[in-house]
Amino acid sequence: MRRVVVTGLGAVSPFGAGVKAFWTGIATGSCAIRPITLIETDGFRCQIAAEVPDGIAGSHRRSRADRLALTAAREALEDAGLSHDDRLETALIVGAVGGGMLEAETWHWRRRERAARGHASIGALRSILPSSHAETLGTRLRLGGPRETLVTACSSGAASLAVAAELIADGIVDVALAGGADALTRICFMGFNALKLLDPAPCRPFDRDRKGMSIGEGAAFLVLEEATRARARGVRSYAELAGAGMTTDAFHVTAPHPDGDGMARAMRAALARGGVAPSDVGYVNAHGTATLQNDRIEAGALRAVFGEGRVLVSSTKSMIGHTMAAAGSLEALATVLALAHGVVPPTAQHDHTDPDVPFDCVPRVARETAVGHAISNSFGFGGQNVTLLFRAGA
Amino acid sequence: MEAKEVLDELKGILVSRLKFDPSRVADLAMDTPLPKGVDGAIGLDSLDFIELSIAIEERFAVPMEESEDLVPHFASLATLSRFIAERAPAT
Repeated sequence: MRRVVVTGLGAVSPFGAGVKAFWTGIATGSCAIRPITLIETDGFRCQIAAEVPDGIAGSHRRSRADRLALTAAREALEDAGLSHDDRLETALIVGAVGGGMLEAETWHWRRRERAARGHASIGALRSILPSSHAETLGTRLRLGGPRETLVTACSSGAASLAVAAELIADGIVDVALAGGADALTRICFMGFNALKLLDPAPCRPFDRDRKGMSIGEGAAFLVLEEATRARARGVRSYAELAGAGMTTDAFHVTAPHPDGDGMARAMRAALARGGVAPSDVGYVNAHGTATLQNDRIEAGALRAVFGEGRVLVSSTKSMIGHTMAAAGSLEALATVLALAHGVVPPTAQHDHTDPDVPFDCVPRVARETAVGHAISNSFGFGGQNVTLLFRAGA
Repeated sequence: MEAKEVLDELKGILVSRLKFDPSRVADLAMDTPLPKGVDGAIGLDSLDFIELSIAIEERFAVPMEESEDLVPHFASLATLSRFIAERAPAT
């Protein structure tokens, strides 16, 4: 059995560029959800989101999402110390949703109101496809292994890691760069607004007074590597990606199945794959969107798998919002860092745990505690469920 | 229109509409190839040439005839400014 370890980390989050900024932000329970500046919000009930602060490097011929992805991916590759030759055999698996939609929207709006809003350059359409991130990363970073783009809505970033881990475990490649990226877009913001899923205040996952989610943006990439090869290279390993589970509700286009069976099956599959008992897991980095439905149903699935109160549960989205295709990878990163530092990041804005959530949600303040195994849950629209299982001290 | 003026306008279009980095555009020589894939080129792709054509029509009132082979005129800033100077209506 080939084991998969994490040897490189990279992130751009609403706390800024870099893994360090991300960890400092979430470990201190800071909230990066602020008034929106990137898109027009006049007339909307919600006017906040977690935007990446100014100063993303890269040519403006690339979409914002491409530049987020490139910055995070570059950090991960450098962290892992992969040589030019290593990169020629590295797989690239990218979770994507919005692609270059932000720029395409701007182009469309300006074209409609040309006189008032200035010229709209057609080059904005260059990177509209979700596969644009993989094209940008693969070409710029000279990654020569298999390349895939996964689009499974809000679980895309986690699915990319699950698939990359499978490629390594199956012996198809020894190294992979995997993760997700998304920029804030109008269609995402307005779509969730139309679904009445946005809280006008920063989101409150698992709180009885929660009113919905907050949108975010960012990118995170992890370098995954076959364990004996990583050891031979003498590179540091942050954690082991010990298993992944992917299931589908096959139920509804947006709503999760009310009994949470698909979610529970994803968690059990990840545990089975890693040969880990539920009682061995100490921490769950939840999907935790703060919508009424998700949090109640996810808590039910957690209870079914782990038993009431048996694990710590927190939601990174309380601090960085729901970063869409980046969410699964940023939250996998949060889980890896929690294991590596022995610190469980909190759920911000959490004061009154919903009675339907029989767990310690680590309210507001991080918890210092050594954890041996942790899972990260990501559940996409369409009931596309992914659970990643990480093991400490690889 | 003076040749220098045409050149400055073209460089402005490369920055404002094609989003090239201003320092890269400032360093362009007259004979630097424009199209992607040519050695030493700044690297314009097909969308860039569409955008550039529209910009030239708008800015210089030079009509782009689709039936004509325009590729040689878009080889470099030198060929392009010559093309514009020849076709632009007298002001």
